[in-house]
Amino acid sequence: MYVRALPTTDVNRNTEWFTYPGVWTTYILILFFSWLLVLSLFHCSPGIAWTIVHLAHFTVTYHSFHWKKGTPFGDDQGIYNRLTWWEQIDNGKQLTRNRKFLTVVPIVLYLIASHTTDYQHPMLFLNTLAVFVMVVAKFPHMHKVRIFGINGDQ
Amino acid sequence: MITIPYLTAVSTYFSYGLLFAFGQLRDYSRLIFDWWTTSDLHGYAPICLAHEDFYIRRLYHRIQDCFGRPISSAPDAWVDVVERFSNDNNKTLKRTTKSTRCLNLGSYNYLGFGSYDEFCTPLVIESLKKFSPSTCSSRVDAGTTSVHAELEECVANYVGKPAAIVTGMGYATNSAIIPVLIGKGGLIISDSLNHTSIVNGARGSGATIRVFQHNTPAHLERVLKEQIAEGQPRTHRPWKKIMVVVEGIYSMEGEICQLPEIVSICKKYKAYVYLDEAHSIGAIGKTGRGVCELLGVDTADVDIMMGTFTKSFGACGGYIAGSKDLIQYLKYHCPAHLYATSISTPSAQQIISAIQVILGEDGSNRGAQKLARIRENSNFFRAELQKMGFEVLGDNDSPVMPIMLYNPAKIPAFSRECLRENVAVVVVGFPATPLLLARARICISASHSREDLLKALKVISKAGDLTGIKYFPAAPKKQEEEKGTIKLD
Repeated sequence: MYVRALPTTDVNRNTEWFTYPGVWTTYILILFFSWLLVLSLFHCSPGIAWTIVHLAHFTVTYHSFHWKKGTPFGDDQGIYNRLTWWEQIDNGKQLTRNRKFLTVVPIVLYLIASHTTDYQHPMLFLNTLAVFVMVVAKFPHMHKVRIFGINGDQ
Repeated sequence: MITIPYLTAVSTYFSYGLLFAFGQLRDYSRLIFDWWTTSDLHGYAPICLAHEDFYIRRLYHRIQDCFGRPISSAPDAWVDVVERFSNDNNKTLKRTTKSTRCLNLGSYNYLGFGSYDEFCTPLVIESLKKFSPSTCSSRVDAGTTSVHAELEECVANYVGKPAAIVTGMGYATNSAIIPVLIGKGGLIISDSLNHTSIVNGARGSGATIRVFQHNTPAHLERVLKEQIAEGQPRTHRPWKKIMVVVEGIYSMEGEICQLPEIVSICKKYKAYVYLDEAHSIGAIGKTGRGVCELLGVDTADVDIMMGTFTKSFGACGGYIAGSKDLIQYLKYHCPAHLYATSISTPSAQQIISAIQVILGEDGSNRGAQKLARIRENSNFFRAELQKMGFEVLGDNDSPVMPIMLYNPAKIPAFSRECLRENVAVVVVGFPATPLLLARARICISASHSREDLLKALKVISKAGDLTGIKYFPAAPKKQEEEKGTIKLD
């Protein structure tokens, strides 16, 4: 089964890989397989496994999308050094399809994790905190906003 | 237009995700490790920002032996590749004194001028003895010899423009001349897959840059219409100048630019056309005059024609050809002309002699033979690779053919397997190409004989089977069976 890949107009090599076909599927498959991995390693209930996946997903994506700034290579002469990955994708345009997809995934993970743990504490508290931070970080109004100067530039 | 098998796309993302995850883990463990050791550089700022060289340290260095291989002979059809070894898992590579003779599929030696040539080399040696290797001066001080003047006239005649200016370095031609031609208040519309030299020149000029979808004249027209209607950012005044920058052959795709459509659109909207013919001059067209000759575009319609001498002419340097007024203006304003050392005189002589061979002015028809041979070789090689089931990019007649690899692990596997069989190929990955689309780029030369190409095909086919890059079904060998049945009858 083949897909066609049209070259994009995005010059930022750090973010243009997200516009090619197959990214969304890979993302969802990674989440599903990590759930299976956690289940097989920790011998826990499915709910706890989903909670672990949700919190790990929160840590990893918060760090790589909203904390790390710039690009992992030096060819672009540092023009993106003040922008996090989330602020770089789609050239800064808000509410594109990719951004909407990336906002929906943590919410869906939260719903699955809460449902499978039967809304018990302390999992519910941790999950809610995680999804709250994730979704607020992705609001269009938070573009280039640094609260209290956290993660600001020197 | 690249066709990827879906499973390959998903597995490529997985692989890169795994590589990045392992790179991050190693970075964190290095951070913890270094907590306990003190460094003697107190008070000094770090040379690179923390994550700027992440890709180089954690991904590129792992397969460093596939890139930057030193050679110890002229880049002919066969080349001596120096052997290297590493004691610390490719972090540092040490050269040995041994070298292996390999078939050269990586050099831009399109017409075979990259090694000893019976007409050019004696003239170059004579010029070396008469003039010396370097002029030791910029063009305006004492760096213009009679050879330089002859070269500029020769290039202008060859390309089909009234005048030309020559600089000592191809990359610097783009990055030093684009800022002179256009500045703040101007608009540069460049193809999305343009070379880094054009991107650097455009960024250095201070003009606004917009990008249009690769080789899509319809999108170019849309972008032009939009930008002309909007005007300059914030003030919305009309643009001072609009320049559209395209390349003749795109070096990573092997595609030929759709020049007739682009030129007609630019004429309609009164934008200037800047054509970078680095890979197409001397390699395509009936007399090698590049993409304008191949596609039948009048050279008077292309405002600025730029090219380099490093690919088809076996020398160094670049040129800009245009109207007499444009070249006069550049001679007064271009920093590459005013301050940079002029092109080395023996190299200039090499270019003049190469152009004379191509045009047949040396009294033989070797030039026409070379051009016919490179066309024949490119078409044969591309057709054979596609029959074997590889995904090969590029148009017919283009001597650049990238074979798609996709997965990051296949990049070093393909390269090392080919080197084991004494074929030297160039593999390219991220960030020179998009993340997903790693490729092995083959450059065919007029000096490759039919036996060389057949050997290359055999080796590439074997390496392709081992790495699993034959993404398309191979063409069935029906004709041989039919011949057999007819013979029996």
